[in-house]
Amino acid sequence: MNIGWKEIKKNKSRFLILGSIIFLVSLLTMIISGLANGLSQDNAALIKDLPEGHFYMSEDAEETYNLSRIDSDVQHEIMNDHQNAVALSIQMGFLIDQEDKQQSVAFVTATDSKLFTQVDEREVIVDRSLKEKGIKVGDLLTNNQLRDELVVKGFVDQKKFSHAPVAYINSEDYKKMYNVEQMQLVFLPGENSAQNFTGLQSYSNKDFLSTIPSYNAEQMSLTMIVSFLIVISGMLFAIFFYMMNIQKIGLYGILKAVGIKTSRLFKMIWTQMLFITIIALALSISLSHAFNSIAPEGMPFHLTFETTTQLSIIFLVVGFIGATLSGLQIRKIEPLRAIQQGED
Amino acid sequence: MTIFTLDEVEKTFTNGEIEENILKGISLSLKEGEITALVGTSGSGKSTLLTIAAGLQPASDGEVLFDGNNLTTMSSEQVRKIRAKEFGFVFQFAHLVPFLTVEEQLMLMLEVSESTLSKREQKKEIDQLLNVIGMEHRKNAYPSSLSGGEKQRVAVARAIIHKPKVLFADEPTASLDSKRSKDMMELIRDLTKKMNITTLMVTHDEEMLTYVDRILQMSDGMVLENK
Repeated sequence: MNIGWKEIKKNKSRFLILGSIIFLVSLLTMIISGLANGLSQDNAALIKDLPEGHFYMSEDAEETYNLSRIDSDVQHEIMNDHQNAVALSIQMGFLIDQEDKQQSVAFVTATDSKLFTQVDEREVIVDRSLKEKGIKVGDLLTNNQLRDELVVKGFVDQKKFSHAPVAYINSEDYKKMYNVEQMQLVFLPGENSAQNFTGLQSYSNKDFLSTIPSYNAEQMSLTMIVSFLIVISGMLFAIFFYMMNIQKIGLYGILKAVGIKTSRLFKMIWTQMLFITIIALALSISLSHAFNSIAPEGMPFHLTFETTTQLSIIFLVVGFIGATLSGLQIRKIEPLRAIQQGED
Repeated sequence: MTIFTLDEVEKTFTNGEIEENILKGISLSLKEGEITALVGTSGSGKSTLLTIAAGLQPASDGEVLFDGNNLTTMSSEQVRKIRAKEFGFVFQFAHLVPFLTVEEQLMLMLEVSESTLSKREQKKEIDQLLNVIGMEHRKNAYPSSLSGGEKQRVAVARAIIHKPKVLFADEPTASLDSKRSKDMMELIRDLTKKMNITTLMVTHDEEMLTYVDRILQMSDGMVLENK
């Protein structure tokens, strides 16, 4: 007989209250995780979508990519030795559309590579978010640092850097705009360990993301909120079951006196915790994914099934720990004390 | 035939530097199917003796022998198994599980005692016992809807549904009025005699002694009289 389930059936409202709180906390956690993911994509999709590898920037750039300059000889040496190496530059800037509206973009140029969209001189390929702002294929865009106009040749999906849509331009146009000859970065995909190049410092993809201004601060704040919510849910379970157990000390004592194993009482609590958590999570996953599909276009919300699965496992583990901690008092209950006290 | 023996059982409680000897070398034996009442003033040690005999607390010295097993040398898990399978308990209050129906209370006890009966046989057994105690019509009721007398009858049924060898009853009628107390004692007597269950009962109600076979008078941690 599943006594845990019997108790839920008899005390529906009590468990419904706990279930509702867990549902709300888990829903909030998933929504904030979706926002964290969305903001992360919005901030660095250009880098996040790259395969694992290593970025290299000049040592004297002090971890600031736009201060980095790769020596041309070193760049050629790397490109000759590593077929898949790509040199790239990223600079924040703006484009002026045909209606004279200024659009913030992240200009990106790269040497020949499948990892970065290639464009010809006086052409530009931009992130699709600019299409929603009225830019069309064939539009002529200008920039006050470039004498020539750039023709929009197409759009790419989800390519963002530092919350700005990416604009792929040719390296010759880039050089004219920023009056530089050297590239800022070299990226070596698929390398297990970082290579040593004279005057260059290596960064894993994750480390490089941290060099993006505001990326770490933004993600840490949201991760902190998510962590707190998870801890709160664990505490909710611990407090709820603790309060329930306090009320049932007499009952547990009698059950122990008649021969029920302590482990069975623990199983009762775990069953209840699992039942509540699974239903609460099923509802919050459904709702958060529904929100994922109806979220306003401009809202940086991106929730994957991988994230919800990870969060669900964490919630179950935290719930299990919370319920078990509260149940530790069951082990200490003396049947004798329960017998000697009156009925609840 | 003797089924239960207490040999020179002592119980000492220590409170700081003060040692209090609650039981002072008690020896007694219980015969199969016999109902024995422990009587005495409050603090005479009768409830302590009952709980030591039932394996709910250890003795400070001496031996508790049940059916050839020495409870004092067994592990707590071995004692728990004996409590679950061979002992039944009735307390001053019914202490029923509030979220189980009458039928489920008995079903749980059969599970705890690792009954070998099939589910169908268990249900049949429960129906028969509920019929005997006049509670068949209340088998789907929760404890909150039962009267005090009904609760205590269910508690008795829970204590004997698994056919234990010994029933320990600690003031089983203390929470009932005179009429219900007599009914309860009649029920305990009828059932234990029918099922040949040895009963050790603590009571302070002299009216209840007419239902027992043997009375042990306790005073100051010792058995004074064997009536």
